[in-house]
Amino acid sequence: MFNGDQTRMAMRPLLLLACAALASVPVFSQGGPARAGNPPDISGEWRLENSEDDTTAQPPLGDYTGIPFNDAGRLRSDTTPESIWGTPEYQCRPHSAPHQWRGLGGARILKEQDPLTRDIRAYHVQFMRSLDRPIFMDGRPHPPAWAPHSWTGFSTGEWVGNTLKVTTTHLKDGYLKRGGPQTSDMYAMTEFITRHGDILSIVTVIDDPIYMDEPYIHSTTYAYDPTASVAHEVCNASAFAENGGTDRHWVPHFLPGENNARSEWLKDENWFPPEAALGGVRTLYPEYRTTLNGTVRLDTLKVPTSRSALTIDKRIAEQGPRDGQVHVLPVQGNIYMLVSDGTNVTVSVGPEGVMVVNTGSLQMSDKLLTAINQLANATVTPPTTNTCVGVSCPGAWGWSSPYMNAVISSPAPPKPVRYIVNTSVAPDNVGGNLKIATSGFFPRVQGFGAAVESVGRGASIVAHENVLNRMTAAPAGKQPAVPAAAQPTDTYFDEFFKLPAYFNGEGVIVYHAPAANTDGDSFVFFRHSEVIAAGDLYSTVSYPVIDVEKGGTIQGVIDGLNKIIDLAVPEYRAQGGTWIVPGRGRLSDTADVASYRNMVTMMRDRIRELKAKGMTLPQVKAARPTLDFDGRYGSTTGPWTTDMFVEAVYRTLQEKK
Amino acid sequence: MRRVVSLVIGAALLAGTATYAHHSYAATYDVSTEVKLDGKLMAFSYRNPHSFVTVQAPDENGVQQRWSVEWAGSGQLAQAGVQHDTLKVGDQIVVVGRPSRVRGEYRALMVRLTRPSDGFNWGGRAGQVVD
Repeated sequence: MFNGDQTRMAMRPLLLLACAALASVPVFSQGGPARAGNPPDISGEWRLENSEDDTTAQPPLGDYTGIPFNDAGRLRSDTTPESIWGTPEYQCRPHSAPHQWRGLGGARILKEQDPLTRDIRAYHVQFMRSLDRPIFMDGRPHPPAWAPHSWTGFSTGEWVGNTLKVTTTHLKDGYLKRGGPQTSDMYAMTEFITRHGDILSIVTVIDDPIYMDEPYIHSTTYAYDPTASVAHEVCNASAFAENGGTDRHWVPHFLPGENNARSEWLKDENWFPPEAALGGVRTLYPEYRTTLNGTVRLDTLKVPTSRSALTIDKRIAEQGPRDGQVHVLPVQGNIYMLVSDGTNVTVSVGPEGVMVVNTGSLQMSDKLLTAINQLANATVTPPTTNTCVGVSCPGAWGWSSPYMNAVISSPAPPKPVRYIVNTSVAPDNVGGNLKIATSGFFPRVQGFGAAVESVGRGASIVAHENVLNRMTAAPAGKQPAVPAAAQPTDTYFDEFFKLPAYFNGEGVIVYHAPAANTDGDSFVFFRHSEVIAAGDLYSTVSYPVIDVEKGGTIQGVIDGLNKIIDLAVPEYRAQGGTWIVPGRGRLSDTADVASYRNMVTMMRDRIRELKAKGMTLPQVKAARPTLDFDGRYGSTTGPWTTDMFVEAVYRTLQEKK
Repeated sequence: MRRVVSLVIGAALLAGTATYAHHSYAATYDVSTEVKLDGKLMAFSYRNPHSFVTVQAPDENGVQQRWSVEWAGSGQLAQAGVQHDTLKVGDQIVVVGRPSRVRGEYRALMVRLTRPSDGFNWGGRAGQVVD
């Protein structure tokens, strides 16, 4: 996350702070420097003292001074209004991690100790407006890239001398400070926390190469205050949008160039160089002064920048790795997410069998089936020790406890795959149909209970009827490319398809998303497990794929995302709760889908605005309306490029209502 | 300018009025101008960190809209004597507020609220500023 040069760079202000503390805070000498292996105690109640910025008041809108923004970061910040807080999905979100130390209300740090050794397993940091934030000290690794992101991220700590170095990944998108400067959801944060007597200094390094040319560093100071107590902010979010009107899916944003408020503050601070207010790495170093008298142009200025430690394209790709493997992530209730060579397969496993949402590619079908069977074996009939002996044990039949049989013989095998759902006709969603369906069993009866050999064998395959129509379409006199046993057996044509009875103890509803990626898209809601398999409507690794030739439209994608958001409920403070499995990428929650929906909506509006001005498709592409999200979702190569996305949006735009 | 802002905030804290806004008012609303809404109260959400009143009132084109007006949190309102049942759905009210910075949004930040039927009013007095 953080290379040696950057560590030294970040430690520099720390040393200065330490010197200052030595000079002015005599209590430092009371405890003396901590020995290696005996780090200072940082637990307790801490009162926010100060930082190099104005922290408690609102920084001027559009003040990016000192932020090494690139053009994408600047555009993202200029077009994201503070009003975004009013959307139902964001009303109760905590402060973003880079700003959290600087929010009002102080901080509380608690120690979690091993009861035997009293080693510190984790620190827990709490703020007025936050969730509990654990910093794990037990050496555990960071989760895989396909694990969810949260507002606080996943933090591990290690002592470097007397400084606690905290590395945080898996963060949601947020802001560097209040009022504008945005982050992506791919940044890493490194904090250096040092106690000098009763002073705690926190140097924070935010590495977000999508939006910044080098890491952004700030520091914050706290004072130990045993009389303080961190307040808890109650947040009563509402289902209604605070933004007014009647559109609950309203996404507030500025079109590029529309935000004329960002330079308001410069009217009162007219001594301030406007280009420095825009941030950028060239304005951060002393060399910038040579541009002020006009002898050197800013765009030609050379400065000694520090590079990001992150390889961002690799980190994004790792959310859906094309590695030829199947990775299993337990989600919630009955549901597991299987990452099959980069394509997500959602699996319900339980006493009634297995349901598989999408079957991955043809090439992966053997490995996927093996993984599903292993999962079913491990989940439904896990090896356990006998916990009850005697005829009174639950489930006893007749003279003997059934647990005797569990000890002396192997348990019954799990039930096979009963259902497959295809959320679209895309090859990566239906490729394993034949292999997996023929391994399964769906009881279809005829007469008095006799299973019909030709129909009863094989799992039920559920899909929108347009999936079947496309699979069975074949030139006159030729057979369809997809064999009959791999085609949907149960189709629907209207708003949703409801399984007629509980499966694995819960209702399962397949919803249609009309004219979205194609004309046959579905997503699946597991009502008790609280998991939605989103299919291709949602991806954390690319712009949505819109197959215009198959009836896909940008508005259909947005409507589908909004329908998912309407069904999903966060657990607490705008995270967790209903989990959403994307077609590709990391497991997500409501706020993640909202963030993606916001992005797609912004892209639609920008391209619509350019089209309304009379611009041709090449002109729209040249205007780069997607600039601020290309580093996150865009691509210049592969099966779905940014150009293809822009073209699909342009071609399928509806007239503004 | 920043020092002045800090002093104002500091004074507010000393006076016991918590500045708990999770988002920034100045960034959300255009505090240099006002909008007047004369209409019917549709909802009153008395809560934290901010209360909201929904007012059915015309926009600049005379089209009726549902305006969402951001008010103080329930803690601050209670200190000013405003309870959850102070306003009733259907009340005719007049709101003066700061409009949103975003084009197309029907939201505002409460500056003054008046109920002509009984003269109830809020705004302009000590402690009656949305923090």
